[in-house]
Amino acid sequence: MEAQKVDMFIMTNAKYFESYQINAIREKLIAMDDSRWAMISSIQLKDPTTNLIISILAGHFGIDRFIVGDTGLGIAKLLTCGGLGIWTIIDWFLIMGITREKNMHTIQQLLY
Amino acid sequence: MTRNKLYVVLSAACATGYIWLIINYHRSVSGSIEPGVCLFKRFTGIPCPSCGSTRSVLSILNGDFTGAFLCNPFGIIIMFILIVSPLWIIFDIVTQKDSLYVVYNRTELFLRRKWIAITLILLVILNWIWNIYKGI
Repeated sequence: MEAQKVDMFIMTNAKYFESYQINAIREKLIAMDDSRWAMISSIQLKDPTTNLIISILAGHFGIDRFIVGDTGLGIAKLLTCGGLGIWTIIDWFLIMGITREKNMHTIQQLLY
Repeated sequence: MTRNKLYVVLSAACATGYIWLIINYHRSVSGSIEPGVCLFKRFTGIPCPSCGSTRSVLSILNGDFTGAFLCNPFGIIIMFILIVSPLWIIFDIVTQKDSLYVVYNRTELFLRRKWIAITLILLVILNWIWNIYKGI
């Protein structure tokens, strides 16, 4: 793909990924065939900041975990009063990283 | 999540659960049964959907299943997980299989289906309303 197109994609979507992953994504996208651009540009990514707000407001019920796709852990969090309240607080700090990892997982299915 | 990570998380959760139960069992014997760790209840004064599940599990341990259901139906699910998952993990480790991991992933996919998810969310909200009504 053209470098210009890829750089535009990276610029608009950098916040969805961990910084160390961006270079790898860029190289993969440049090496990729142009026909898959439509799929890549219409990909649905979860916003880490939104998820942090959800985690602070409703993390006690495991909603942040449900949104990220960890249904099992979400149920565990819901059933145990947010892991006795401790897990809720731990997840306030972890959830942004987890969201970015899940986004990487989503885009990897298209890249490879 | 990989197989080993799931098993570590589950074992840790079960261990915490059993320690929590032992602490609260001794507390209930000595009379003062108000654990009150729930952050939501501390801040708002309103019980959360899973408040009362410790008391519910303790009722099951005393053989009172109706009392457990009336206290919080979640307690029955928690008791089931607490009993089944350690045995299943040990079975998987001994036989070197990943049957629990496969079942876990399938259950996740099953629960994410639209109508099942909606039904379960409604049940949780109903349980919440019931909890507030009971004033747990």
